[in-house]
Amino acid sequence: MKAKAGSFESGDCIVTVEDAKDLIVEIESTVFAQFGEQIDRTIKQVLTEYKINNIKLICQDKGALDYTIIARTKVALKRGGYIE
Amino acid sequence: MNRSYLFIPGNSPAMVQTLDVFESDAVILDLEDSVDVRDKDAALELIHQFLRRLRPHNIEIYVRLNDLETTLKEEVKRLNNTDINGYVIPKATHHLINEVEALTDKPLIALIESPRSVLNALEIADCKSVIGIILGGEDLSTSLGANRTKEGLELFTARQLVVLAARASNIEAIDTPFTDPIDELGLMQDCQTAKGFGFTGKTAIHPNQIEAINQTFVPSKEAINDALRIVIKAKTATKGAFSLDGKMIDKPIIERAKSLLKLAQNYGLYGGDDLE
Repeated sequence: MKAKAGSFESGDCIVTVEDAKDLIVEIESTVFAQFGEQIDRTIKQVLTEYKINNIKLICQDKGALDYTIIARTKVALKRGGYIE
Repeated sequence: MNRSYLFIPGNSPAMVQTLDVFESDAVILDLEDSVDVRDKDAALELIHQFLRRLRPHNIEIYVRLNDLETTLKEEVKRLNNTDINGYVIPKATHHLINEVEALTDKPLIALIESPRSVLNALEIADCKSVIGIILGGEDLSTSLGANRTKEGLELFTARQLVVLAARASNIEAIDTPFTDPIDELGLMQDCQTAKGFGFTGKTAIHPNQIEAINQTFVPSKEAINDALRIVIKAKTATKGAFSLDGKMIDKPIIERAKSLLKLAQNYGLYGGDDLE
């Protein structure tokens, strides 16, 4: 089920998840050049932790630190019914 | 004992991750009123991840929970293994505090914000985990059907009862926040009023209120000097009561002078050894 968490406030991000056949992670970030890889790695660590590999996840980042990306990802997954 | 407690909205990463830069003695990460009801889950997860990964160790951190009917149990279960200093319990009653005490060993600060809680403040303050009580002036005024004013006349009796209860139980008495973040003069007056009632500290809703609160809830230089003279003279006095500057000094005044010097010592304003 499609679900999202977070906000567009500075230091935050919005993570949106929905069903997909494969794992798709898309990142939009004002600091993509510097931190795009790290954001991708952080999100995939959470997905790996829950063994989720058939989902489309979009992260619209406004300069979020790792703990915020992890928190928003977990809440989006919970709201979407992907984890408890 | 803390002078200032700054409320930080629990679902705002920009505020949460900078909580240690505002020079507040303690912060209260808020899961209650400042968080939209649709984002309670997001705030709890954000706070949990922050405390696990980035918790600064130069500041006391408390978390204000929601009430028992909604998400309190889940919040305590989630946060019990984090390194927080305690929980702030909204709409506290003796019964609610006992329920929370069954869920956690962490210290509790009770928010006194209903007429009944004000009248039962001593019962709440006496609960074994309660280390402080905060007067919640906004909700209380609403319950009283009273207009909330900057002068705070509507809170006069509640302030006295909260301070009496806290002092009787030897815990912190923490005043309600001043809700106009740009009225500096009003804040200073409100701080002085609270200190005059005997509060040990005050809550803040904006970082720019911290300096005034911290400056207020420490003893003045004059008060430290007066206390020092009393304590020194008491050491050489041959009777229980003596005269200083024409005023009678007896045991309660000596004890108050010692308490004041101890407080000054805690905040680095006095480094002598006259308390020994």
